[in-house]
Amino acid sequence: MNNDRNLNLTVLHMYYLNFVTVVFYSLVSNATAFRIARHFQAYEFLSEAGVIPNHPWRMPVQTILLFAALLCVSVTKNVFHHDSPVVRFCFILAEIILCIGIIEGLNFYYSGIALVVLADLVNYMENNGRRIILMIVLASVFVIGRYDIIPLAADRIAFASWLSYYSQPVRTSISLMESILVSANIIMFVYYMVMLFTSQKAENERIVSLNEQLKEANRKLREFALELERMAEIRERNRLAREIHDTLGHTLTGIIMGSEASLALFEDSPEESKKRIEAVTRSARDGLNDVRASIKALRPDSLQKQGLEITLREMIAKFQKTTNVAVIYEQFAGKLEFAVDEEDTLYRIIQECMTNAVRHGHADVIQICLRRHDDILTVDIRDNGSGCQTVTEGFGLRHMQERLDLLSGSLTYGNRADDPNDGKKGFYVIASLPVRRRQQEE
Amino acid sequence: MSQREKLLSKLILIISVFIMLAGSVWLNYSSADYILKIGVYSGSYWGTPNSDSYRILDQAAARFEELHPNIKVEYVSGIVSDEYSEWLAEQILKGTEPDLYFVLPEDFSLLASAGALADLSDMIKADSQFDPDSYYAPCLEAGRYNGIQYALPQESVPTIMFVNKTLLEEKGIDFPESDWTWDDFYDICQKVTDVENHIYGVYGYTWLNALYSNGFSLFSEDSSQCRLLDSRVLDAIRFVRRITELNQGYTVTARDFDIGNVAFRPFLYSEYRGYQPYPWRVKVYTGFEWDGIPMPAGEWGGNYSELHTMLLGVSARTRHSEAAREFAKMLSSDTELQQDMMRDSSGISPLKAVAESPETVAFMKENIPGGIIFDKESIHEIMSSAVSIPYFSKYEQAMTMADTAVSEMIANGPVNEDELLRIQRDINRFLKK
Repeated sequence: MNNDRNLNLTVLHMYYLNFVTVVFYSLVSNATAFRIARHFQAYEFLSEAGVIPNHPWRMPVQTILLFAALLCVSVTKNVFHHDSPVVRFCFILAEIILCIGIIEGLNFYYSGIALVVLADLVNYMENNGRRIILMIVLASVFVIGRYDIIPLAADRIAFASWLSYYSQPVRTSISLMESILVSANIIMFVYYMVMLFTSQKAENERIVSLNEQLKEANRKLREFALELERMAEIRERNRLAREIHDTLGHTLTGIIMGSEASLALFEDSPEESKKRIEAVTRSARDGLNDVRASIKALRPDSLQKQGLEITLREMIAKFQKTTNVAVIYEQFAGKLEFAVDEEDTLYRIIQECMTNAVRHGHADVIQICLRRHDDILTVDIRDNGSGCQTVTEGFGLRHMQERLDLLSGSLTYGNRADDPNDGKKGFYVIASLPVRRRQQEE
Repeated sequence: MSQREKLLSKLILIISVFIMLAGSVWLNYSSADYILKIGVYSGSYWGTPNSDSYRILDQAAARFEELHPNIKVEYVSGIVSDEYSEWLAEQILKGTEPDLYFVLPEDFSLLASAGALADLSDMIKADSQFDPDSYYAPCLEAGRYNGIQYALPQESVPTIMFVNKTLLEEKGIDFPESDWTWDDFYDICQKVTDVENHIYGVYGYTWLNALYSNGFSLFSEDSSQCRLLDSRVLDAIRFVRRITELNQGYTVTARDFDIGNVAFRPFLYSEYRGYQPYPWRVKVYTGFEWDGIPMPAGEWGGNYSELHTMLLGVSARTRHSEAAREFAKMLSSDTELQQDMMRDSSGISPLKAVAESPETVAFMKENIPGGIIFDKESIHEIMSSAVSIPYFSKYEQAMTMADTAVSEMIANGPVNEDELLRIQRDINRFLKK
């Protein structure tokens, strides 16, 4: 913002300088005209010049009025910052036309005003292509709008003709002043352009570094999300431990105590012992029911309500949304209706693998494929992450193995660096298990 | 935002008020009374006395103001003709030049080429009352530059030959007829010339005088060719060289003529008109009697001479172009004004009807004792066949190039055609540039 203000200030100074230049040219040509007339050299002057000059008032009036208008347009365009391209185009066109009007009014003695307008508009223009067109147009005006080039100027009096009237020292000092004004304008223009480009370069660098920071923050955010999930898992495990302790521990303690008591009573009172064993049996059955209830309570809610198919899709969709990782899910296994423990296992394995792919492999594409041959269901999960040099326990692979062992399933996994198909590194997990048809719960 | 809108509406209000103000000023300006400024010199341009130089202009102004009550005609008086060119240039430089001004013959080319004069062709075409045929063609031609009519003729002055009657009588030579030829001219010069006694044939007769009377001009109509090697030009150059050779290397001066030692000298018609009447005649040349006749005719041409024409131009920058053109037209083509001008000034009206009118002839007879030579027929002859140089952009410089070389050749001889070819080539190259 500070930079913008500096740029605007430079343009304003360029306007001041050019105003002085415009007044300078008007003053020199007019003062000379009247001086020539006063010294009775008008006829000689006209014979040499070969053309009649414009009305003396025309140059100052035209140039100063147009200059004021140009300044008004320039200020207005900055104050009423308009976004409409039509309005912006009108402002730009008005400035260019006024600029040409001023150059014409100056008899094409000086075209440096085109540089001021260029400096004024180049920052105003946002489209790079149009900016180049504008630069070409105004640079052409600057280059072509000169007395000795433009054919229109053939019937104008050359500035040199006015100067030729004066003696050498006066002519030199006027030329010197002209040179200072013209050069100062060019120097200021170059200064402006250098300032503009350095400020834009700094701006670009800032944007790049901000982008980097944003990316880093995003990555951290994703890791935090996974961490959070993991915390939830741990809490869940603690609850499970408590549950097992409360229900299974309680039941088993009861069973142990009941069977010890019935053992002690077995000799003396078989009847009593039998009763105790019956009680133990009842307690064990109750315990089993309790465990079943507990397991049921542990299942993900939706799995219980909506079935594996929908739950998986929802979980994947949610995962894509939170982690911004593309998940390709292919299901060729028919209807996904299996026993509760099998469904749980499948769900957990897929969830764990996806988590691993992002957390350890930093993958951004995960491919999940479900297939079924007779009663064997295979889940193939692979990603395009960095893979893993040493597989550690933290990855939950042991849990997967254990779960599958319980269901007589198998698990293979490893880096797929040698995969010839896409040559990309990544990790793969293939789990297969025999499935039963869903049984009616007791 | 609302504050910005307020500011914007204020800006629009100010701008519209400004436009309305400018509009009303303009309306007021264009419809109201205004002053038509005329640029005019005092005295006579032709170097002869003129009793009341503004009389015709005042008369024209009064009539014009009567026709257009909203216009007032004004002019600055007291600018003598010697200072007129400078005065006009100053006014142009300061942007205050008159709407309509007299253009001296020698300034016309500069003013027309510099773009100071308005193009009058359209007016001439559009105006049914304006008849170009009522003018002598050479007079109208004088206001043309690059083929465009930039000015209208106001009065014209041809060149005539002054003859020292006393000298011819002394030598027993008859006064030449007005249709005399180069041969007659050469004969007389030869007879008169007496180098030992400092008596010579002619002073100031140039190859261009000879060329014009040979019915030719140096540059082609389209001003693209210089025709130095044309036989008519060569004849003229050779003739003047022969005349010059009679002097045996002596360069005749104006003083020789003034003291009565030279038989001929080309002069402007205005001098003849100006000095013929009684008081002046005595003052100028005391030692001898003199008279004027047309220039001697060349083999191919006639008794033609160069015509000098006072012109009227309208400023290219005037805001009252219509009125200025109309006033210029009035001064140039109104027979009544022109008739009056003939009486006052020492020029000849560019209008045939005025220059040859019985009134003019009667006036001349009455005022000029030797006026027999310039009767109706000879005026018609001189004016119709006179040569107005067709000005074009490079005329001055090309003419200077040719004149310098040819004059040198005439003064020191001989007439070298190879040299002339070289000069012609140089000039043609310059014209094509």
